[in-house]
Amino acid sequence: MPLLKSGLAVVLFALTGAPSLLSQSRDPSALVIVTGQQAGMPIPTFMEGPANLTANADVADQLFLRLAELPSDLMTTDERRFVPALAKSWARRDSLTLALDLNPKATWHDGRPVTARDVVFTFDRARNPKIAPKLAGLLHHIVSVTAEGDRRVVFRFDKVYAEQFYDATFNVQPIPAHLIPDTATVANPPQDFVARPIGDGPYRWVRSVPGQFIELAANPNFFLGAPKITRVFFRTAADVDARINLLLSGEADATDNIAAPLSNVERVRAASDLRIVPLASPTVGYLLFNQRDRSDRTKPHPILSDINVRRAIAAAIDRRPIVQAVFGQYAEVPYGPASQLLWIRRGAPKPAGPDTVLARRLLAKSGWYDRDGDGIVEKEGHPLELTLSFPLTSEVRKQIALQVQEQLRHAGIKIDLARLEGPVWAQRRSQGDFDIDFSAATQDPTPSGLTQSWSCHGGTNVGGYCDPGVDSLLDRAITMRSGTASVWQEILRRIEMDQPAVFVYAPAFAYAVNRRFDKAPIRPESSWLLVREWTYK
Amino acid sequence: MRRWLVHRGLQAAITLVLVAVLLFFLMRLAPGDPLGQLGADRQLTPAQIEATRKLYQLDQPLPRQFANWAWALLHGNLGTSFTHGRPVTALIAERMPATLLLGGTVLLINFTIGLWLGTVQAVRRGTLADRSLTALSLTGYAMPSFWLGLMLAWLGAVHWHLFPAAGFENPLLPTDAPWRTRAADVLAHLVLPATTLVVVSIAGTMRYQRRAMLEVLPLPYIVVARAKGLPEAVVRRRHAWRNALFPVLTLVGLWLPILATGAVFVESVFAWPGLGSLAAEAIGHRDYPLLMGTALLVSSLIILGGLLTDVAYAMLDPRVRWA
Repeated sequence: MPLLKSGLAVVLFALTGAPSLLSQSRDPSALVIVTGQQAGMPIPTFMEGPANLTANADVADQLFLRLAELPSDLMTTDERRFVPALAKSWARRDSLTLALDLNPKATWHDGRPVTARDVVFTFDRARNPKIAPKLAGLLHHIVSVTAEGDRRVVFRFDKVYAEQFYDATFNVQPIPAHLIPDTATVANPPQDFVARPIGDGPYRWVRSVPGQFIELAANPNFFLGAPKITRVFFRTAADVDARINLLLSGEADATDNIAAPLSNVERVRAASDLRIVPLASPTVGYLLFNQRDRSDRTKPHPILSDINVRRAIAAAIDRRPIVQAVFGQYAEVPYGPASQLLWIRRGAPKPAGPDTVLARRLLAKSGWYDRDGDGIVEKEGHPLELTLSFPLTSEVRKQIALQVQEQLRHAGIKIDLARLEGPVWAQRRSQGDFDIDFSAATQDPTPSGLTQSWSCHGGTNVGGYCDPGVDSLLDRAITMRSGTASVWQEILRRIEMDQPAVFVYAPAFAYAVNRRFDKAPIRPESSWLLVREWTYK
Repeated sequence: MRRWLVHRGLQAAITLVLVAVLLFFLMRLAPGDPLGQLGADRQLTPAQIEATRKLYQLDQPLPRQFANWAWALLHGNLGTSFTHGRPVTALIAERMPATLLLGGTVLLINFTIGLWLGTVQAVRRGTLADRSLTALSLTGYAMPSFWLGLMLAWLGAVHWHLFPAAGFENPLLPTDAPWRTRAADVLAHLVLPATTLVVVSIAGTMRYQRRAMLEVLPLPYIVVARAKGLPEAVVRRRHAWRNALFPVLTLVGLWLPILATGAVFVESVFAWPGLGSLAAEAIGHRDYPLLMGTALLVSSLIILGGLLTDVAYAMLDPRVRWA
């Protein structure tokens, strides 16, 4: 080994003539974050369509400031507890009107002051479905955003609901009106601004080296205090092994979610200079039952429209050991479609455990018996055989699907696994062309997002689930100004009862951070938002 | 010769046009949708997805989309990437240096060391050296490139800290660092991915060269050269080696597209910012403009590789021209 090592060292000397590069001392105030994707369009109102990526949002969080930030417990319904950011203070004029006063010290990185006009400009763009379809959908309750002088912005809403302030502050950060054409869209972006964005956040843009990294520098004039970390690099490595190698070799200081298998986390944990930071994630993974016929959506699914079959499948799956095997301590079995990010999960009951006897009984109740002794139940000559679809890029879902397949086989249910290429899986899912879909939803911090998938007319309700009782509760929870927790929990309970899906996992993300950073807060709703508060030894 | 060249060039151009048309329609007709995944992962409503589809003009009929794309292509415009929001030509141009550096280095090592080792094997046919080199090269050939890359990265970067683990350059290096330092940094990053690719690919060159030499060495003109009293080294280099290069020329033509995008796994393991990873990303996202841009580039290189091989044959062997 020493001979090989020496040989390689000689090759390096001969090749580079600069071996000192590898041992050069690191700038302790620089932070290198390695991520899976590179931000190509980290500009609010442009992060639409395929540019709607976490990588873009992470960099945008450093460049652009929100009007206010979520409280530490992620409660989205109490405006008094939000943390001032670009807005210094706010006041409610009536149940439909909010007024926010901008911090007069806030400036763009080019030195111009941030004004109410910038906020109005941004919201005009964000509320325009031709420019920003996704944002327009999220902000559809805002009927007007107007400026009163240079510093005051007034929001008016179309109805009374608990998350007005959240809608006004969380979804989009203001952008400079003087640098962006009114009509620019993600398909027709202002190339100069994309190449060198100018924001008002704690970090300013330095450079982007395509396919490699983005460099940001601390904004010394940041009005909430100059960051201690002077340079931040978002380094790109699509492959999880490459990311881990960069961490272990000391070439990167931090990374976001360390992807499965669990051994990856253990490798990082074993490194003495790194620590693992578990953090609530916005992901919830579930086996979604298609209640409509695959080929004719007007008809019920021949098997899965029967609630007994759905409940039997749920009862036959022992989720806890599966989650333990795949995620170790970094996930829990959720109660209903609630990721760890959603505050409504607090106080929810424990999810039910497996009950194979109940599963068999429920199947028998609907006429499913194993008449030919092959281990699979049949009804009217047809075996209970279903396809479970999932994207082939997801190692987690593959591992879980295999275990689910095995567990259901013991209950007399045959599961065929369809491991599909990502875009094909997504297309089939959106068209309702599946029996059971292994979905992994990424949720916003607001529970009102549940309407998308779990209300009768929800835009992403591809499974055809419909319970008017749940819809009514959702309306109530969203419009109530206080005491909503119990209503949200009743919603989760009813969804669990209806069994539109088996909710399998709600993971915590395992972040890794170098120990030389003694204070390194990471936020669940936006991982690197508080890099501005990080300190180093 | 000129007429032949024009004829061959026209053939290549027509092939490229046909490939472009086929590529466009096959990609659009293949299952999967660039925006479908948004609905699955991002909680977008179908209405929002439709609005986004309009933004990218994906709502237009396929012939109209083709006409727009072809018209833009005729003006040298490959379109704007859906995921990057930037012109495809710029994205390809940005990734080209890393691709050429890695591919060029591997090609250079393959066709210097590989040819030399192949010749040594042929000359020493049946000896321990021949058998050992065959075993070693085939062992390398049999290794999956991603596995070998992972092993080399673990040994060279994580365990011994000799080379960088991934990437093309050290982001912490000052932008005003001397060129020598910057070049050394890039070379240090190149060592592990280039070694991986050389190990898994050099066997092909060696086997081709060995076989070609073995076919040439017993031929009458070699016997005549020896009979004339020429030193063995001259016989091998001037008479045998040169003529044994013809079959290897074909290999150069085959290598050209691999140079551009063939190292997807190695690029991935070492986060090498080349065209291979860009193409893989485009496929994963169904980023049609970027997918078309990279696919067209590879097709062009395949056609160009074939053309250059034919030209080289024609220049070196008059019998090919006459045929």
